[in-house]
Amino acid sequence: MKFISHVLTQTGRNLQKTWPTQFMTLLTVSLSVLIFAFFFLIYTNVMKASEKLGDNLRLTIYLEDEPVPEMQEQLKKKINDFNPVEKVLFVSRAEAFQRLAEQLGDDRDILTDMNPAFLPPSIEVYPEKDLNSLARIKVFSDYLATLPGATKVQYGHGWVERFHYFTKLIQLIVVLSGVLLILTSTFMVAYTIRLAVINRQAELEILRLLGATNSYIQMPFVIEGLLQGLLGSALGILSLHLLYRWIAKLFSGPTFLNLFEFTFFAPTTIGLIVAAGILLCTVGSLSAMRKFLRI
Amino acid sequence: MNKTMVDLVKATKIYPPDVAALEDFSLTVDKGEMVFLTGMSGAGKSTVLKLISGIEPPTKGLVEVAGKDLTKMKAKEIPAFRQQIGMAHQDFKLLPDRTVAQNIGMAMEVSYENFRAIRNRVNELLQMLKLEHKHDTQTEKLSRGEQQRVAIARAVANYPVLILADEPTGNLDPVTTELVMKLFKQYNDAGSTIIIATHDEHIFQNTTHRVLELANGRLIATRPTLQP
Ligand SMILES: Nc1ncnc2c1ncn2[C@@H]1O[C@H](COP(=O)(O)OP(=O)(O)OP(=O)(O)O)[C@@H](O)[C@H]1O
Ligand SMILES: [Mg+2]
Repeated sequence: MKFISHVLTQTGRNLQKTWPTQFMTLLTVSLSVLIFAFFFLIYTNVMKASEKLGDNLRLTIYLEDEPVPEMQEQLKKKINDFNPVEKVLFVSRAEAFQRLAEQLGDDRDILTDMNPAFLPPSIEVYPEKDLNSLARIKVFSDYLATLPGATKVQYGHGWVERFHYFTKLIQLIVVLSGVLLILTSTFMVAYTIRLAVINRQAELEILRLLGATNSYIQMPFVIEGLLQGLLGSALGILSLHLLYRWIAKLFSGPTFLNLFEFTFFAPTTIGLIVAAGILLCTVGSLSAMRKFLRI
Repeated sequence: MNKTMVDLVKATKIYPPDVAALEDFSLTVDKGEMVFLTGMSGAGKSTVLKLISGIEPPTKGLVEVAGKDLTKMKAKEIPAFRQQIGMAHQDFKLLPDRTVAQNIGMAMEVSYENFRAIRNRVNELLQMLKLEHKHDTQTEKLSRGEQQRVAIARAVANYPVLILADEPTGNLDPVTTELVMKLFKQYNDAGSTIIIATHDEHIFQNTTHRVLELANGRLIATRPTLQP
């Protein structure tokens, strides 16, 4: 208890002396957190949106002939072997005709003279609703085209693929900004602590002569790193939240944002980001001390 | 209980590259004793104190303090050891941008004394050394003599069992010197072992305590008892 109050007093004194550099580091850390969290927020929302889009995702395989039940089983098996799917639905000529009639509604009389078998039978494949099935839809559809009796495969639109590339791009940016975050926070904190250690060399020397323990000398620096991490990431997240609120206000109205239902991080995610910030900065200060505070 | 506080056996200190500051120096100081080290400038007085406080390791020989061989002491034991020893350095080693009170308080902060005890103790010491009015002055703004007294106050602040004072009266007038010597006597009476390095003959002229004279890193005379 006494130890803690003494270490905190010591930390307070240090901060009083070095706050300009400490403040600059704090800003750098929060800026990195902001950049990272910004892209991460977009990424999580895109992921959520893609789940929704997956609801309407369906591949239709047009067939030459209606497959007999054994054949149906075989086709089902083949499809699932290649890529497990949520549902496979067989649509016979009659069912296709029926659907068309329903779609036409009151105009169905134009079909009266038509042969009810003029529409081709088909298989409807509903892939599982995750980003992976989006990613592999092209490959999947190519495969489906090689099934026996298949004449043509139709799915979504070109945007499915473009959307997929977009998510890949964001994924990459998230990773890059994460690396940036790691580098800036650890290096900047390590640099500040190094500076503080050098500035206080005389004092640390005297403290050692007076019998200060290693922990008494080192703890203030660790706490400084920890505070950098805590305040820096909190500040970064807070600014992102303000930015988010501002953008949400700007786009309130019937726009694509409503379509996607853009949401902010869950409390656990915020907690994790802050924890990561604290961890990184503490590691930064520890590594600086390893190098510059040999006792 | 061992009654020896300091035991130097044939201690030799050679500073790089080849400055022999101390050669085959032996000294035994009992607990509660007060000892004066004297000799010309460069004789090796400060070096003896540095060996005893563990600031410098001996090149050869044995240095034992409170029954502990300093050369074999583990890094973990050093802080606790140093907290037991109060040293007033010849060059004071004060922090120039900190106040008098903060400088003195540091000696107690490292052993996590509570803050009120530190405050009281600092005030008490400043009173004894006639420095009350300098409580909040940065030490760089003090005269040499005032700085010297701050260094002494810091050395005794944490109630050390062993006090090492290097030239404690070098910058003081006779009256203030008297004040400082009174302080040391008080601590000695209370049981602290004290070793004072000085070339100020006035402070040990009429003493009943041992006086060791060094020259060129060797012991050349011991008073008042023996004359080699
Ligand atoms: N760090 C050092 N490196 C090299 N030589 C040193 C060092 N410290 C002291 N010396 C030398 O060792 C010898 C003894 O020095 P020491 O400081 O012990 O003398 P002293 O008796 O305390 O002198 P003074 O009365 O001037 O303080 C001197 O010749 C000095 O030049
Ligand atoms: Mg000296």
